[in-house]
Amino acid sequence: MRTKLNSLLLLFLFFPFIIFGQNLLSGSVVDEASSSGIAGANIVVKGTTNGASTDIDGVFKISVNSGDVLVFSYLGYLTKEVVYSGQATINVVMIEDSSVLDEVVVIGYGSVKKDDLTGAADLITSEDFNQGAILSPEQLIAGKLAGVSVTSGGGAPGEGQAIRIRGLGSLSLTNSPLIVVDGMPLNDGGVGGSRNALNTINPADIESMTVLKDASATAIYGSRGANGVIMITTLKGKDSEFKYNFNTKYSIYTPINKVDVLTAREFTDLITSTGNNNAIAALGGHENDWQDVIYSTVSGNEYNFSAVGSAFGVPMRASIGMGDHDGILLGDNFSRNTLSLNLNPSLFDDKLEMDFNVRMMDTKNTFANRGAIGSATSFDPTKPVYNGSQYDGYYAWIDPATGNQAAIGAPTNPLALLNLTDDVSEVQRVITNLKMDYELPVDGLTATVNLGYDKSESDGSSTTSELIPTADPTWNGALSTYTQSATNMLFDAYLTYNKDVDDHNVNAVLGYSYQAFEFDNYSYDSEAQEDGNDYEFIDKSKNVLLSYFGRVNYDYKGRYLLTATVRADASSKLNPDDRWGVFPSVALAWNVDQEDFFTGKIFNSLKLRVGYGQVGNVNGLGDYKFLTRYTGSTSTAYYQFGDSFYQTYRPEPINPDLRWEVGQTLNIGMDYTMFDSKLTGSVNVYKKTTKDLIAYTLVDPFTNFGNRIDANIGDMENKGVELAFNFPLFKKEDYEHIIDFNIAFNDNVVTRLPDQQFIGGISGGVGNNIQTHVVGESPYSFLVYQQVYNSNGTPIEGVYVDRNNDNIINDDDRYIKEDPFADIIMGLTSTVRCGSWDFSLTARASIGNYAYNNVASNAVLSQAWNSFEILNNIHSDYLTTGFEYTTENSLLSDHYIQEASFVKIDNISVGYTIPDFMGDCKLRFYGSIQNVYTFTDYDGLDPEIYGGIDNNFYPRPQTGVLGLSIDF
Amino acid sequence: MKNIFKKLIFILSISAFITSCHDDLDQSPIDPDSFTEEDVFASADEARGALAKLYASLALTGQAGPAGNADIADIDEGFSQFSRMLFNLNEITTDHAVVGWGDPGLPDLHGMYWSSSNDFTEAMYYRLAQEVTFCNSFIMNASNLTGDEVQKYIAEARFLRAYAYYNLLDLYGNVPLTTVISTELPTQSTRTELFNFIEEELLAIEPSLATANEYGRVDNVAAHALLSKLYLNAEVWTGQARYNECVTYSENAMNSAYSINMNDANGNGTAYDELFLADNGSNGAQNEFIFALNFDGLQSQTWGGTTFLVHASIGGNMNPTDFGVNGGWAGLRTTKNLVNQFSVDIDALNSALGSQSDWGLVGSAAPNGWDGPDLEMYETGSNQYAIYAGLTAGEMKFRYNEDWGNNYGDNGADGTLEGGGSNIVIPSAGTYFVTMDLNNATYTLSPFTADQRGMFHSNGQNLEIETIPPFSDGYAVTKFKNVDSNGNQGNDSSGTWCDTDIPLIRLAEIYLNYAEAVLRGGGGDLNTAAAKINELRERAYGNSSGNITSSDLDLQFVLDERSKELYWEGQRRTDLVRYGQFTTATYLWPFKGNDPAGVSVDSYRNLYPLPSNVISINTNLSQNEGY
Repeated sequence: MRTKLNSLLLLFLFFPFIIFGQNLLSGSVVDEASSSGIAGANIVVKGTTNGASTDIDGVFKISVNSGDVLVFSYLGYLTKEVVYSGQATINVVMIEDSSVLDEVVVIGYGSVKKDDLTGAADLITSEDFNQGAILSPEQLIAGKLAGVSVTSGGGAPGEGQAIRIRGLGSLSLTNSPLIVVDGMPLNDGGVGGSRNALNTINPADIESMTVLKDASATAIYGSRGANGVIMITTLKGKDSEFKYNFNTKYSIYTPINKVDVLTAREFTDLITSTGNNNAIAALGGHENDWQDVIYSTVSGNEYNFSAVGSAFGVPMRASIGMGDHDGILLGDNFSRNTLSLNLNPSLFDDKLEMDFNVRMMDTKNTFANRGAIGSATSFDPTKPVYNGSQYDGYYAWIDPATGNQAAIGAPTNPLALLNLTDDVSEVQRVITNLKMDYELPVDGLTATVNLGYDKSESDGSSTTSELIPTADPTWNGALSTYTQSATNMLFDAYLTYNKDVDDHNVNAVLGYSYQAFEFDNYSYDSEAQEDGNDYEFIDKSKNVLLSYFGRVNYDYKGRYLLTATVRADASSKLNPDDRWGVFPSVALAWNVDQEDFFTGKIFNSLKLRVGYGQVGNVNGLGDYKFLTRYTGSTSTAYYQFGDSFYQTYRPEPINPDLRWEVGQTLNIGMDYTMFDSKLTGSVNVYKKTTKDLIAYTLVDPFTNFGNRIDANIGDMENKGVELAFNFPLFKKEDYEHIIDFNIAFNDNVVTRLPDQQFIGGISGGVGNNIQTHVVGESPYSFLVYQQVYNSNGTPIEGVYVDRNNDNIINDDDRYIKEDPFADIIMGLTSTVRCGSWDFSLTARASIGNYAYNNVASNAVLSQAWNSFEILNNIHSDYLTTGFEYTTENSLLSDHYIQEASFVKIDNISVGYTIPDFMGDCKLRFYGSIQNVYTFTDYDGLDPEIYGGIDNNFYPRPQTGVLGLSIDF
Repeated sequence: MKNIFKKLIFILSISAFITSCHDDLDQSPIDPDSFTEEDVFASADEARGALAKLYASLALTGQAGPAGNADIADIDEGFSQFSRMLFNLNEITTDHAVVGWGDPGLPDLHGMYWSSSNDFTEAMYYRLAQEVTFCNSFIMNASNLTGDEVQKYIAEARFLRAYAYYNLLDLYGNVPLTTVISTELPTQSTRTELFNFIEEELLAIEPSLATANEYGRVDNVAAHALLSKLYLNAEVWTGQARYNECVTYSENAMNSAYSINMNDANGNGTAYDELFLADNGSNGAQNEFIFALNFDGLQSQTWGGTTFLVHASIGGNMNPTDFGVNGGWAGLRTTKNLVNQFSVDIDALNSALGSQSDWGLVGSAAPNGWDGPDLEMYETGSNQYAIYAGLTAGEMKFRYNEDWGNNYGDNGADGTLEGGGSNIVIPSAGTYFVTMDLNNATYTLSPFTADQRGMFHSNGQNLEIETIPPFSDGYAVTKFKNVDSNGNQGNDSSGTWCDTDIPLIRLAEIYLNYAEAVLRGGGGDLNTAAAKINELRERAYGNSSGNITSSDLDLQFVLDERSKELYWEGQRRTDLVRYGQFTTATYLWPFKGNDPAGVSVDSYRNLYPLPSNVISINTNLSQNEGY
């Protein structure tokens, strides 16, 4: 009945136009700053549904009647109203909304205007992304957001990155944030054969990224929100004519840093002055820098093409990307082809809106043998690369007794390692989802179903030549292969209700989510086959996550905002009695600037926020840990009874009481604009407590099938302050200079843990750990002996401080010295636009992080010439210490814990844009240098080592990029 | 109405779909290597795999050999192997062994300054406690099965649990006694309680154990033998001497089908070394092994066991191929104390021969090779010379005054010398008595039979240990090898993993237990004791030249004999403790107490500490005194 009335009303409203005829008005909409037309701006006759939008040149046509009020709006600009009084044309100049608070922020199962945001969430759009040779999405935001650190695992192309939001939240589970791509949460494991699971997403396809930092924002993701959430929104189709973009980049990767080992001359001097006759006789007389042998300057290139527009009434975007990059380590290569397609059709009078995404990736990796990195730092520099040996001519240390390469104490020729091994993989992955929003016949109610499917398949093989130097007399080469597949299926269904009554605005979401993850791995080993052992291995697992969630956003007059969310999750990983976890959150915000008393004198805008929430974590936890399971032994671990060998069954450690880790965050924040919009900023103060931390904890072995089990045993706390500033120094038509700066302080402390945990395995000896988790300290704190120095400041070998005064130096004398995490991280971006030119500089700083220099800690004389009568090069730190032997104590000496604070100029870019090249084309040339310079006192290769143990690190190259982008 | 009906159906079907998804939360393992209790204990035949694990957890370290799926956390997997840790705790802490590596907690052992968080004392506790738990679980689950075979399995599991407790009692003293699976934190038991438990268990299972079992599995003699070991140490562990019982159960074992291996399968003059060769599961040595750990280079791989003992002992100029492996880890050596146990004073014997002459031995078999200086012989008469000489396998000649102008070899290997003749072949390393008579141009070459149990590599090694890290300080021990009686390398063609089994209890030890118990007043017969020891010594010397009489027997003699017979088999610390020589100044060795000359340490170190980590989680436990 009501519907009929509405239709009548509508008819009545339109009637006059039909009766009296209308005028066709045309005009244009231009941007104040650039004076160029704004494409896609909306024009609506106020109070009607009569509207139009501008074309690519900013030109519009609309039927109007005299006295109509035309409303001009465009995202990011102030809305403008013009009364039509018979003008021939109306040309509107739109002004950018400097507060930028109207940006829409994706928050999970919906989006809000930034103005209405109550939690700590940062949005970063494509124009603010990092420039240069960026191969994976997370690199786009490195250094851009307060409290978000992105650290690459090394300098290989496409290398994995450690993303940490507000420090560590867990000890034994994953600390990586949840990644959600267009509403599809990805699985948190890696992809076999892939350097980085996120390489699937071509950075060129990304429109924006939202980082949800506090629990009130991430609680909607419940059990997966504990480490923050990164929501990636890809570029979508548009309802317009087709437009195309082509861009290409050429990159040059240059090795700029080497490990400071002894030169051939220094090494020769060392051996001649200290070595016995055998050692001196073993010197080779060459001058070889093995690091120069394995690293070289290489290049990469990248091509991306995209088309956006509407065909058959369906807005769509399609893109294709191709990239090929060599690594500076000889033979390393990463190549990737991506395809993506987005369709945004609307059906049933726009009642059904669909968003369909397919992303396909095919990467091929050639993994250079990273063993060469360590072997290049330790191989005797007086030896030649080749000497015509039986090992394809490569020089090798031969054991005269066996005639083969010495079994122990000898590194393998680094170049032989690179050239005689072949480790390749091909990974194919499809991530696809279809999201349907259906406007239900109840006012303001929308039903959404999101179906997602994510599948990756990897094929890899590793071949080692029969010619490689080895001690094994029967060696005839080896081949191992693997295939892995990971499947992730998603079904989300939720209702969204939007209702504005007077000054009360409500947005509510209620939903259900089902996600299943399956892994299926197979591997083959030729050597095991030759030995008559099992040579095919299968690993399979499946887990299911099932959830209900709800959220209410309420505001009164846009002044007082409330967000309340709750999510209930169940994971098949947990005992049926404990598997449900409920994660609630609530947040309040106050837009002070909306108040009548707000004068706007100092502050142009001001919002205060407070939020509290709980989130869970079981990511990275093994499956079925609550069941009594037996593991069968592999055929190399059978046991002999009589003449037969039997497979053995071991009961696995069990913990039926395993529960979710729960993170609780209190976040107090403020967003403001000051001094006539000369400063925009935000402040967040937070305290995050992780309760029931799952740690691989000690258990009395008389009560379980092992000495450690995963159990909810500890608590941890992160406290911090984050500040972000945006200074538009100049903002003129032809000249613009903006500085963005962020700084974050974080303090991470383990607050409860019944037993001390030893982690951080190092090279040197067997089973030495340099780090610990212990109450009252940061996780991963260094646990070391205190070195004693002589009056010249030289460390004295084997002498450590007897800290407990019991006249014995043993484990009880180790103490905590610092930790690998920064106390302060900072990011700075300076952007200048001057006419057609643009310049940008980004820098990052990290203060208070320490590293253990594992290369230096093995620099002892007995390494340089050992009891096997083999020479090994050592780190030049030996020239300081003069140590003769490595012992447990010398390896764990605090002498090797060094401050690794740094300031890094990450990137300098320059670009030149021709907006109207050959008519319609927009042409942009750019160049950039990445990893420009690092200021640090740290002695090792690179102070930026995630986890703080510096050993055999793949050096980050300096990258020069030249690029060209054409829009047409 | 119809609409509502439709909606209802819609809502119902949606909820049905959602509810059906709830069932999906009940996942069970789909991995082919994962089994449930129902699978493993489906039948006696299946349960054999669970029984095998009870043995394997003393020999191997996890479910993926040699490493990859460890039983024990917190320590390098290879370190966590039982016999390797037993070696670390019972041999490296004594005069028998030093190790040069700087691995965490390892130097502390020989230096005797371990703390309660020492990696090895901790991991050994975990290994043994876990073995107890594995056994408890097995006994519980197997009890639901029927059949004679299952009863044997259970008795074997109870033996292995008793063996684990025997070691816990010896090493740590006061540990919890648990016989059932429970998550309740256990309470501490006294040494006497543990002693009584082990005794009762072994007596109880004796009738259920097989009278003879397949190789690798224990039979009832193992229960007797373990009782013999237990009673021998009763006085130290409980304050109450039980030497009479020790004599009784030693006799039971001595009268069993087990026998001392006398088969010199490789024909080198003694049947002792066969006990430690790659084929010791079949070359005759197995007849002496009452309880042994089985290894195989292909199917039972570990970085502990004999793979460790063989590789770790090789360094310097030793040739790994002689030991059937592809390389040495240059770690283990021994002190002069052990070497001197075997010392024959060659210098004294030589100087008794006469005065040094200008005739000498030269060649690859001689200590200084073909270049000399030569090993000078002693003049025993006119133109007659002789020498006791340590030679290696190789060749040699006689030479005058280190000048090739006047030298003798042997054409045709007929015992007559020819000037400039062919090289004389020395078939194997050892001490030889060499004579040369230039009156009739003849020579003799006979192995000097001393105690051949002393197997050392001295070439390039210093007897004295100045500092522990360099491999050159201290003689290397060549007792364990991965070659079989025919000199062939073990099964693993790459020469990495060893086949050689490790005897944990062998009959020779029971002989020595018997002798000691007799001497300590346990009854028995001293002459039998001497005869049994002579059996061992005749094997050691290859003849009766080393035989003793019962009057030679005293306690110190037995301790020294144990050292020579059983060195590097994981017994030494227990023996020294029983003799009051482990921590005291009565007996010193290099770097005892971390002092080059050796010093005494506090007596609380006779017992290892309970791991501080375990104390921290189980508040029922109190730490051993002193730690």
